[in-house]
Amino acid sequence: MTALQTVLAWYSGFVLIFCFAINSYYLVLTVAGFCRTLRVFKEVRRPDQRRLLRSPLTPPVSVLAPAFNEEANVVENVRSLLMLDYPLFEVILVNDGSTDRTLGRLTDAFDLRRSARSFERSLRCKPIRGIYESLSYPNLVVVDKANGGKADALNAGLNLSLYPLFCAIDADSILEPDALLRLVRPFVDAPGVTIAAGGVVRVANGCDIHGGRVHAVRLPRRVLPLIQIVEYLRAFLFGRMGWSTGNSLLVISGAFGLFEKKAAVLAGGYATDSVGEDMELVVRMHRYRRERRQPYRIGFVPDPICWTEAPESLRVLRRQRTRWQRGLIDTLLRHRSMIGRRRYGTVGMVSLPGFLVFEMISPLVELTGYLLLPVLWASGLLSPSLAGTFFVLAILYMVLVSALAILLEDLAFRRYPRVKDLGLLLLAAVLENFGFRQLTVWWRVRAFAEYLRGDLSWGAMERRGMVRTA
Amino acid sequence: MASVLALEPLTNGVLGLAGAVGLLAALLLIQRTLAFFGNSRAARREPILTRVVYDAVQSSPVSAEPLARLTRSDRKLVRSILLGLALDLRGDTGEAISQLYVQLGFAQKDLARLRSWWAPTRANAAADLGLIHIPDATPMLLAALEDSDVRVRQAAVWAIGQTGTPETLRGVIRLLGDRNLVVAHRAQEVLAERGREVAEAIVAYAETTASRAGRLAAIALIGWLRLTAGASLLLDFTGHLDPEIRIKSVKAAAAIGDPNFLGAFHLRLEDVAWQVRCQAAKGLSLFGSSDSVPRLRKALRDRHWWVRLYAATALAEVGPAGEEALSAALQDEDAAVREMARYLLERGDLVPALP
Repeated sequence: MTALQTVLAWYSGFVLIFCFAINSYYLVLTVAGFCRTLRVFKEVRRPDQRRLLRSPLTPPVSVLAPAFNEEANVVENVRSLLMLDYPLFEVILVNDGSTDRTLGRLTDAFDLRRSARSFERSLRCKPIRGIYESLSYPNLVVVDKANGGKADALNAGLNLSLYPLFCAIDADSILEPDALLRLVRPFVDAPGVTIAAGGVVRVANGCDIHGGRVHAVRLPRRVLPLIQIVEYLRAFLFGRMGWSTGNSLLVISGAFGLFEKKAAVLAGGYATDSVGEDMELVVRMHRYRRERRQPYRIGFVPDPICWTEAPESLRVLRRQRTRWQRGLIDTLLRHRSMIGRRRYGTVGMVSLPGFLVFEMISPLVELTGYLLLPVLWASGLLSPSLAGTFFVLAILYMVLVSALAILLEDLAFRRYPRVKDLGLLLLAAVLENFGFRQLTVWWRVRAFAEYLRGDLSWGAMERRGMVRTA
Repeated sequence: MASVLALEPLTNGVLGLAGAVGLLAALLLIQRTLAFFGNSRAARREPILTRVVYDAVQSSPVSAEPLARLTRSDRKLVRSILLGLALDLRGDTGEAISQLYVQLGFAQKDLARLRSWWAPTRANAAADLGLIHIPDATPMLLAALEDSDVRVRQAAVWAIGQTGTPETLRGVIRLLGDRNLVVAHRAQEVLAERGREVAEAIVAYAETTASRAGRLAAIALIGWLRLTAGASLLLDFTGHLDPEIRIKSVKAAAAIGDPNFLGAFHLRLEDVAWQVRCQAAKGLSLFGSSDSVPRLRKALRDRHWWVRLYAATALAEVGPAGEEALSAALQDEDAAVREMARYLLERGDLVPALP
């Protein structure tokens, strides 16, 4: 056996072990997330929502919704935000230099009037062209500003916000009516200590939606969003819930998160030069608190739900996935000095190394694994039966984790009521491994090249419009 | 490769994983099947039992006779129906629900559950007893306030808030200074709802407690409940050395709106803590006194945005003298002052609810 063959053989072993490790990582996260979910459910009692609605301790919230060319859905989505069950809140929609009729539609629908509203300039942002207040809804403010990206729009919204908590959401997302009330629970229970909390983001494709509300949860007919539902369950629901166990959650989705305004401003607000501004802010907030040894908690609440439209075409999905990966690389490199440092507690010792190995580097290892297969085969180091068995093993482990996530979702939430839905989800868990997974791996590897080129673009999300009945 | 990987363990792994996936799929199917049968039974029985419960509640005197011989699963359903109804119904019907709950033996079971070794069971029992308003449970709920588990204590506080008399509510006041923040907040919530019944005790607690957190919570309650009995105490506290106590006191005083506070608010517009200045300006907006105009004009130049906002809001409430001051501020050399004055003059009816 030549030296090259020896290296190849050992690297193959490494890939196998890595494959086992990454799936085990997801398995542990899923189980930990489920246990935490059950614990949270046990703590929440029947009259809890009413208590929070009445309590003078429930803090007012500013809902910040940045919008860029969202004319298709914006009116319906703002209407749904204004209908939230919450004692005191304001909706600040930031029109981030849209080139379509986003502002016009809002002006017509909500009777907007230009206002000389004064605001605190805590964070830098692109020039504000106008502030509009609604004559019909005193708690609606529309900010029209020069295009500067989502982070810049959120910083502008933060400057305009009046309340101690702010909820960052995507203007194209739909919140369940009591989502905010559920998400605020950790802030009411531990004010001053809880500085951020994330809620669950679920795929809305296929659901019966009208009047800005999800009326019936259904599965999409197309395979691509179906697979993403399984992915979201595994990674966004139980994965994040699992990370929150040791106060080491690194990502609160930009589509739905609640933050203490003071903590976010002190940490410097959203980074306008990052495409992963949601993760970056959370990591910076961890860093800020841990460096000052201030007690804090960043939590995840499993029951408030935000519905979002998942990409239905490969082109849009590619943009989304490369953007996510670029954001991840950017955040981990910005905060690389935290990795492996005891000073940063579980964040430095567990979650950041975990993200580095299993989220950032893993596509590189997986891709080399795929590329190595024919090489090993051709060099006679790997028999077809061994290669096939290895492949089936890797797939089965992934299917196992996904199936577990589906089972646990059914036990804890049962949002997909039909038995047929479960069958489809299990099928999607299998199909995911034949093409989808390999494509996402390839896009995530390409994201490294884009990151090195300094690509900070978001890429347009083509909305089909959720305001429809499926 | 052969030195690193071998076919046999991989094949065993595949078989093991395939078995595990199959097992999960089977579990999913089983749990769905069980849930289906459970739900369909509940869906069938619930309307029937709700009707029986409704009739029993409406009968005078309340009688559990029609519900006496139920199966175990039906009893569970009835209990759940009663707890659901108790959440929505108060007054005579609420009382009838409580009586039925007691007659069916659920209250006794809850009291027994309050002695369970398992803390979540004790917490659930306390919450259910509070929900159903069982006054007889009060002594045990008072004892549960001393429980070692936070969940039990917070559930007991809430339950006492639902069932307790003014006497028992007094027991809750001392929990405002509880070492556990969640319990302290639950006590504050309960007293925010029913604190008027024990107003004097809250004021006395604010005056005498050694707990700083407890005092702050009591001061906030005096403001929320607009307890005029606490006005003189608040007046004293507006000059307290602790800035946090000054902030809370001025805020509470602003909520009460007693004209005696006017002088204190004027004084506090010069406070070193911006939050105190802010609350003082907010308080002045209640009186609309023209005496405040010179001080508010000065506060309009405060370096803190929130103080400027509330000072301008207060000026807008004063009337012509205030509007004149705001108009004059439009010519101010400081852009921040001009901006704030313009906003207040132009906003008209567009008044956002300020925190």
